Parts: sequence; structure tokens; C-alpha cells
Amino acid sequence: MLSLNELGMRNRAKKMMIRQLALLVVLLCAPAVFAQTTAQGTINATLINKSGISLIFDTDTTGNGVSLGNNGSSNATLDFGNISAFGPLTVPNVSRPLVTAANYTVQTTFDIQVILGGITSPNYTLKANLAAAAATGLTYAVDAVTLTTAAQTIQTTGTYNQDVRHTLSLTVSTAAPGAGGPTLGAQSATLNFTATSN
Amino acid sequence: MAQALPGATHFLRRRARKMKNSVGTYLKAVLGCCCLLWSIAGHCQGKTATAQLTITMTVQSSIGLVFNNDALVGTSGFCPLTNPGTNNVGLDLGTASFTGGENTPCVLYSHLSATVYQVQSGFDVVVTKANSSSPNYRLAAEISTAPLANVIWLIAPGVGAGVALTNTGFTQLDASDTYGSSIQKNLQVQVKNTVAATTLQETITFLATAN
Repeated sequence: MLSLNELGMRNRAKKMMIRQLALLVVLLCAPAVFAQTTAQGTINATLINKSGISLIFDTDTTGNGVSLGNNGSSNATLDFGNISAFGPLTVPNVSRPLVTAANYTVQTTFDIQVILGGITSPNYTLKANLAAAAATGLTYAVDAVTLTTAAQTIQTTGTYNQDVRHTLSLTVSTAAPGAGGPTLGAQSATLNFTATSN
Repeated sequence: MAQALPGATHFLRRRARKMKNSVGTYLKAVLGCCCLLWSIAGHCQGKTATAQLTITMTVQSSIGLVFNNDALVGTSGFCPLTNPGTNNVGLDLGTASFTGGENTPCVLYSHLSATVYQVQSGFDVVVTKANSSSPNYRLAAEISTAPLANVIWLIAPGVGAGVALTNTGFTQLDASDTYGSSIQKNLQVQVKNTVAATTLQETITFLATAN
């Protein structure tokens, strides 16, 4: 049998426990409520800045060159159009500076731009070669250099980041097809260019 | 002596250990230099860029025609052309009259009849072929405008009679001329004595066609 005094003490203790529990709940819930308003994260970013140079072909607008296909890229096309020793040339800015009994030459200009990044280099060396042996009766030259399948130096001190004009010449034998002359009709050739930083 | 021997041995061992250490240091230094040089060489090695340019064209056969001065240029009957060696030349036949003859020595002047005189000058035509297996070519000519009445423009292979030209179509001169050879042609102008004084002028177009 509990006395009144003991009952009162028990009730007070009970109330105190309830208050403490309530306080504990509030304390536990508070961080959860605040956690919804902020968020935090980290990105560990890395960048490998590699050095290198790139080469692109540009239409030579100042020298009145042929309009290149894929202009401004490293894989461009140049069309001479219809070419012959005496007939009309069909593509603007293709000239025929030389016609002899043995051959004739058609010519145009184009630009090469070598872009520098991540290295220090004063200039570059430009080489070129034919991807495959030239067809019978056709000879390709860049500037004064006749091209073969072996890489040959076109320029030793090219200036970076600006268009450098080059002349592309195609010399065609006037001999008849089958007698040392070229096959009539469509022809193509691929010229490989390599720029190396000095 | 017995006491000195252990001391010397100790000294020699220390010396050997020291040498071993210094050889190791030397090898490390050499190895380090090699690594450094390899690294520098790698860094300094030229960077390269490659690109491709694809060339296309359509090769066509063709023939070309030019006018040249004849080997006898300057003599009677062979006046010099202006702009010889091209396909667009000039030929001045000077001034002539039925009664007064010709004032230019290189022009060959003659009376063909009692009422007609003729002036004549020769030149060469050269036709060249390229990328063609054509064996020969035919040659024709045409004048640009209808001639005045009683004036005839002719092309002759030599001194003899020529073929009269019209402005209505090409008149064939030769059927099979040889490429690369100088083919002598003579321009003749026949004028009747009834033609009033005037300047006679024609543009004569020559057409070579591959056979």
C-alpha cells in the first residue's frame, strides 16, 4: 500500500520522464529537419592537358585558290574539274600556266594552317607524299617539290596558327592513253601531309 | 705485428665497404641521368600532325590550233602576223587598189582578170593533239560577216586557187592534216574594180576537228 506522498513522488517522476522523452524526440528530429535544406557533394575532376599540333586545309582566298571540300578540316578535297591541254578549264581558279608538246600543267593554290597547343616550338617542318603511286601520265607537285610515295620536305620553318599558301601543280603527259598518257576520265589521288614541330 | 694485422684487416674492410657504397652512388647517379635524358628527349621530341588532301580531276583529250608565221615571212606573199604562236592573230594586208597595186611589199598582188585584182599572204596553221589517239584532223574555215558585193575571201593551200569562204557555215579546207605539222595556208582577197574605196575586214575562224 503506497502512501499519498509516495504516489505524488511517482507521478512527478513519471511526468519528468515524459518531458525528458519529449525533449529527446525533439532533439533527435531537429537534425533530420535541418538536413533537408542543405546538401553537399564533391567532384573529383581531372584534366589531362596534352600537348600537340594539328593541321588543317583552308581555301586560299587571298591567292584565288580552288574552293576546298571539307574546308577547314584535316581531310579536305580539291577538285581540278575538267582538265585538258587545250580545252576550257571548268573550275574557277584553276590555271594552265604551261603547255608543251610533251605535257601540260594545271595549277591552283591552297592554304595549310598548323595549330600549336601545349608546347613551345618556334615553327614546324612540313612534309608531303602521295598515298599511292601516281597514275600513269600524271605528276603531282606541291610548291617546287614533285611528290612520290616517300615523304618529302615542303617547308622547313612553317609559321604556326596562320594560313600558309602552297601551290599544287598537276603535270599531265600529252601522250595518248595507253601510250604513256593518262587514262581519260575521272582520276583521283590522295596527298598526305605531315607537320612536325621544330 | 700480431696486433697490427687485425687493425689492417679492419681498415681494409672499411675501405671496401666505402668503395662499395661509392660505386652504388655512382650507378644511381648514372641511372638518374639516363632517366632525366630519356625524359627530356621524350619531351623535346617533335609533335606531329597529319592530314589528307584528296585531289580529283577529269582528264579530257583535246586538240589545239595556233597560227605561226611561215618560214618565208617577210618575203613577197608572207606578211608577219601580229601575236603569232597563238590562236588569235592579226594579218594586215595593207592598202591596195586596182590601178595602184599594193603598198605593202610582203603582200603578193596580182590581177586575176581585166576587172579583178587579188592580194594574198601566207601563214602556217599548226594543230596539236593531247591525250588523243586521233590519227589526223580536218580543217575548215568561216568568215564572220557577209562580204561586200564583188569581194571574195578565200583560203588557198598555196599560190593556186583558194576556196571561197562564207559566213553561213564552215568550208572544209583539208580532210586529213597531220598533227604537229605546219600547214601553210594563204589568205586571198579578190576585189572587183567596181568596189568603192573602203576598209575590208573579216574575222576568219579556223576549225580543226580530230578524225
